[in-house]
Amino acid sequence: MLKELRLYPKYVSMSLRSALSYKADSIIMMISFAVSEIVSLATIYLIVGTVPTLGVWTFETLAFLFGFTLVPKAIDHVFTDELWILAYRAVRRGDLDIYMTRPINPLFQYIARTFKWDGLGELLVGIVIMCVFAPQAGIAWTASGVIGLILCAVLGVFCFTGIKLLFASLAFWVKNAGIFLNTVYDLSNYAKYPVRYMGKAFASIMFFVIPFGLFLYYPVECLVTGASIWWSVLWSAVAAVALMTLSLTVWHIGISRYESAGN
Amino acid sequence: MIELINVEKHFKKPIRGKGVWGMVKTLFSRKHVVVKAVDGVSFTVRDGEAVGYIGANGAGKSTTIKMMSGILTPTAGEILIDGKHPYKSKERNAVLKNIGVVFGQKTQLWYDLPLTETYELLRYIYDVTEADYKRRLAELVELLDMKPFLDAPVRTLSLGQRMRADLAAAMLHNPKTLFLDEPTIGLDVLVKRNLIEAINKLRDEYKTSLILTTHAMSDIELLCKRVIILDEGKILFDGSLDDVKHMFGDKRNVTIQTAAPIDTAAATDKYPIDGVTAEGDGLLTTFTVDAQKLKIDVLLDFLLKTYDVTDVKLSETGIEQVVEKIYERNKAAQALDECGDEAADAERDDG
Repeated sequence: MLKELRLYPKYVSMSLRSALSYKADSIIMMISFAVSEIVSLATIYLIVGTVPTLGVWTFETLAFLFGFTLVPKAIDHVFTDELWILAYRAVRRGDLDIYMTRPINPLFQYIARTFKWDGLGELLVGIVIMCVFAPQAGIAWTASGVIGLILCAVLGVFCFTGIKLLFASLAFWVKNAGIFLNTVYDLSNYAKYPVRYMGKAFASIMFFVIPFGLFLYYPVECLVTGASIWWSVLWSAVAAVALMTLSLTVWHIGISRYESAGN
Repeated sequence: MIELINVEKHFKKPIRGKGVWGMVKTLFSRKHVVVKAVDGVSFTVRDGEAVGYIGANGAGKSTTIKMMSGILTPTAGEILIDGKHPYKSKERNAVLKNIGVVFGQKTQLWYDLPLTETYELLRYIYDVTEADYKRRLAELVELLDMKPFLDAPVRTLSLGQRMRADLAAAMLHNPKTLFLDEPTIGLDVLVKRNLIEAINKLRDEYKTSLILTTHAMSDIELLCKRVIILDEGKILFDGSLDDVKHMFGDKRNVTIQTAAPIDTAAATDKYPIDGVTAEGDGLLTTFTVDAQKLKIDVLLDFLLKTYDVTDVKLSETGIEQVVEKIYERNKAAQALDECGDEAADAERDDG
């Protein structure tokens, strides 16, 4: 583990220098991620304008929630983007071979290989939106609230990574797990709205099955309703540990049945 | 030392139906066939030995190499490299530290960066000290003649250059054993020869054990004394290269193309004792000859004079021919055994 930590900066620097040979590409990606998020925020503005307010959820509050959901998503995007390739084609094409013949953890090598700095555009948009709407979001700010929210964001990154790894690892069984991962990943967009009002069945799924609602929506709900943020920190921690354990287990079982690809 | 004990690897392949409806059915069906890619393979490779692992496409060569290098887990049997299993998570790293792997069709080099960047990363992965790394890299650059492209991005390298670069990457940490999976695939004759020479130089210099797969016999001649021939997952032959040659002779194929169908009897009758055989449809005919018994130029001269030849091709015995030969021999031996058994039975009856 120590060795992996020492190696990580080397991977990041190599990945960045690789990306530099396609500079324009990265910049366009970065701008397009940012623009697409700003457009979806505008959509929320339009929706809120046409429906009566849902209790405490004014446009400002919704915008703050929107900004918060972007943070863990963007950080996960920066670090583990290679998992998409695992889901779509790495297993099918036998790309994991070269990582498995080296004496360090193959999953680490695989993920460390790509540092997706264009995801930073999303992160920036998320943070700016949060800062802009924090004063009008109807939240009584305390130091404990801020610390709790930061902890929730960090734990949220692990939850995101866990969910991505879990569904990407299905590729060891179905060869192309991209469709599964895509569908599940898209569910995270619903956590940008008050999940609690979405009907009991769907809300239960979002809280307890694919818990985007739990680690993205619930922390902001706690702040807005004045409940203790530490409950949501606790739940996010539970979700992070559970998802990471489950996904790593599935990865390990998967890699032992990895079939490579014929030559 | 590398030991394989009754190693098997099975792949499950779903049975696919034809057409769109067949595809839909495949989705919901659990039916599959089990393909035995490697079927009860055992052999031992001593330190410093060079082994050519050959077979036709799909014979199970790559699967075996992938099991030895930690990529695949055997379905049954055991693989021990210096007493450790490369596919067990606890023993993996200890084994992998001491091996180097090159796949002819995959590269471990960082695509958009200069070679030295990948080497630098490998130095950290394998914990090579800076002094060792510098000395070794200098030696490898010299041996493999890599100076001209050391600082070019990998994507700009030719296939021959990339293979040499991959070879250097696999040798940087001074592995005890080097696995090469089809290293000469896609290379032209001259580049292939250079690569083989380079591999030989590396072996002389570092005393590395070598296990090499290929489907071209000619690759092995210059690299290995020992060959293991594999077919449909089973070992057909394990012995010295000289034995193979001795058994099958130094066969050459001469293929001629003619405008009109020819009667091959003229050639086969003229050299009956020299074992010239002919095969073909009359328009495209392959004559096979033992180069030790009959000089190839004699045969060529005769063929050109006798027939109206439009095109000529010379080739060495392919692995397919060798495998076919081995099967024939095994069958003959079996038949002989059965006869022997019957005779013994008959004797017993008499007694």
